Amino acid sequence: MSDDHQGPIKLEYQPGLPLPRGKTIMWLFLATEIMFFAGLLGTYIVLRFGAPAWPFPHDVHLSEPLGAFNTFILICSSVTVVLSLEAARSHKPALAKSWLLLTLILGAVFLGVKAYEYKAKFSHGIYPQYPHGLVYEKADLAYAARVRKTLEAHQLRLSKFETPTEHEQKQLQVTDTLLRFFVRPAELTAAQSGGMQGQLELNRLAAAIRPLSDEMVVERKRLDHEKQELQKQRKTMDAKASPLEVLQVDGRLNAISLLDGADHGLNEKYSWLHLPIVIPGGNMWASTYFLLTGVHAIHVLVGLIVFALFLFVRLDVHRSEHIENIGLYWHFVDIVWIFLFPLLYLF
Amino acid sequence: MSEHADTEKSAAESGNHHGSNIKSYLMVFVALCVLTTASFFTYSDFWRDHFSLQAGWAFMMAISVTKAMLVVLFFMHLLYEAKWKYVLTVPTIFMSIFLVCMLIPDVGFRMSRISRERRHHMAVEPTDSSHAETPHSENGAEAIDRSKADH
Repeated sequence: MSDDHQGPIKLEYQPGLPLPRGKTIMWLFLATEIMFFAGLLGTYIVLRFGAPAWPFPHDVHLSEPLGAFNTFILICSSVTVVLSLEAARSHKPALAKSWLLLTLILGAVFLGVKAYEYKAKFSHGIYPQYPHGLVYEKADLAYAARVRKTLEAHQLRLSKFETPTEHEQKQLQVTDTLLRFFVRPAELTAAQSGGMQGQLELNRLAAAIRPLSDEMVVERKRLDHEKQELQKQRKTMDAKASPLEVLQVDGRLNAISLLDGADHGLNEKYSWLHLPIVIPGGNMWASTYFLLTGVHAIHVLVGLIVFALFLFVRLDVHRSEHIENIGLYWHFVDIVWIFLFPLLYLF
Repeated sequence: MSEHADTEKSAAESGNHHGSNIKSYLMVFVALCVLTTASFFTYSDFWRDHFSLQAGWAFMMAISVTKAMLVVLFFMHLLYEAKWKYVLTVPTIFMSIFLVCMLIPDVGFRMSRISRERRHHMAVEPTDSSHAETPHSENGAEAIDRSKADH
């Protein structure tokens, strides 16, 4: 400004940062997002490493290859969105749009895999909250009572049918046997002895319903042993034994035979049972897993909506700034998953 | 500020580096894929024999940070940006790392201070209960608890 200029001072506009407004705002927004996810991850670290027990990935139906596949998908989508930006900058709208469409498809695949993973958890009773959640922290009397009540509810429901199908008859049979010769005796022993023996019974009950790691291998050996003992007993007692005793032995043998081939637990063999399961730390795991992946999935969904809207406009060089902004957001979503994947699947 | 002229200019600029840009993107993509596979290295027998579990966690986090840096520097173009990038990123990174570090003492706190209610619902009794608020529970059930607290 020269001195000979009279009158009011002319003000010159100086932008705060030497970059477009949209990009400034996007980076500021990402700054808040970084802190948002830092808070969530920090909370996860506290809850996880301050927890007395935490489930192994396989115990909660987490599949590492599936998680790695999703990581790969997101990395690919990051590349496609950046290629779309390059195409728009070099004024190739059709190419830009096809890269963006591919990004949209990859994002949708990510969400599809995520939905499949959620379903695998839900179908095994792993929810973050009651009443759907079947996860108990430890095998105690409350747990045994819950198992019994679930079976009793099955029994009541199945016995109400006037003309049950063969399938329903079989279900009723299984329920009766489990209730009379497996669950009630275990609960009773546990309640009466109170100490170690009771806890052992409860642990066996929980292992039969849903074994963790190699529990079933150990349990199998014990059951085979018990079976042989019972069969010996059965042979010697034929004529003069009381019918009640015979019934008891036969029933127990039946219950053991139900556990045959249930190496992944009764809940897997009879999927209609939906018995409560014991996963130490499982409830806290579910809370953190669904919160972290859920918040991330919402971010993916928002990105997909914006990509879908972009499909309706011409992606030439004037749009490249907009593509850059949504690209920045999308890369950030990718980065969050880069941290979530090892923390949730591999640790 | 004439945005139109600016975008034209940047278009012309990027047009010059177009080929090399795409090449660097593809190289970053390959690096990201390799690094993702590398985090599975901690599952190998070799790793289990030679390193601790905690070393594995540190390794995986190092890989994650490397991957994030690659994405930020190349895909988000931060490598090529002017100095404004420090204004926006440094305070944020500092604050988020600070936040996570501030939460770390809570890990120890949760392990050593246990309320009666939490103890009641807990999967495993802590082995060292000297700091616990309530006396040790009466039954010896934890000795044969089915969870592996030290996995």
